[in-house]
Amino acid sequence: MDPIRYVDALAEKYGTMGFPPYDWSQYDDAPLTPLNKPLTDCTVSMLTSGGVSQCSMPAWDPDARNDFRLDEIPADADSGGFQIHDSYYDHSDADTDLNCVFPIDRLRELAAAGEIGAVAPRFWSGFMGRIYKRRAVLEEYAPAMAMTLKADGVDIFVAVPA
Amino acid sequence: MGLVCRVVEAAGIPTVCVSTGRDLTALVKPPRSLFVNHPMGNPFGRPNDGKAQTAILRAALNLVAECDEPGALIDFPTDWGESFEFRVRETPKEYQLKT
Repeated sequence: MDPIRYVDALAEKYGTMGFPPYDWSQYDDAPLTPLNKPLTDCTVSMLTSGGVSQCSMPAWDPDARNDFRLDEIPADADSGGFQIHDSYYDHSDADTDLNCVFPIDRLRELAAAGEIGAVAPRFWSGFMGRIYKRRAVLEEYAPAMAMTLKADGVDIFVAVPA
Repeated sequence: MGLVCRVVEAAGIPTVCVSTGRDLTALVKPPRSLFVNHPMGNPFGRPNDGKAQTAILRAALNLVAECDEPGALIDFPTDWGESFEFRVRETPKEYQLKT
């Protein structure tokens, strides 16, 4: 099937509620940092924005606006010890198996098999949707996380939006 | 998330975005994206299907290793096997009006 046209679908949904079309970030070019070593030597970290938190942490608020909470998740966290609170997608499968949205078990297996060098000391959960203060992301929160990624020796960063 | 990838990449760490929203990703243009035409809750496939989950994760990692075209958006070959729709729960009005 053809990809869902989310921009149109969201404009229609919120248009009927009386909201103007969302002003999506739009770019014509992108930065690029070439990978300078083989995958087998790379340390990999991963980020989910799917309302995923460890059960030992508070649940995410699916209806929050401009929520800049960012959880650090230990590299050895048990994939069975998570909860998902997000009303903008159907996470019933991910409730059963976290790896549907956040494949931490699969990444650890790739590291154990030597396909990648290592899993970074921590994974991340944050940058949920409904963030309207984009400048804060661009100038404050994302750069701060990038600093920690560097300190962790991360070579590849996998982001999984939801 | 696309914005986050752009910032992390510009800071010197290669990134890949695994996306289920092709049009949204095309707008934001993260440095590298793997589009997986699955429901939004299943970018890595179905529960307990480790083989497919690994294949998608591996494709994302390989994209970082092999693709040097800024803003590349690559389609992962997949067929979900059934149709799916955009789905969203109604957000309470009081939250809509919160800033």
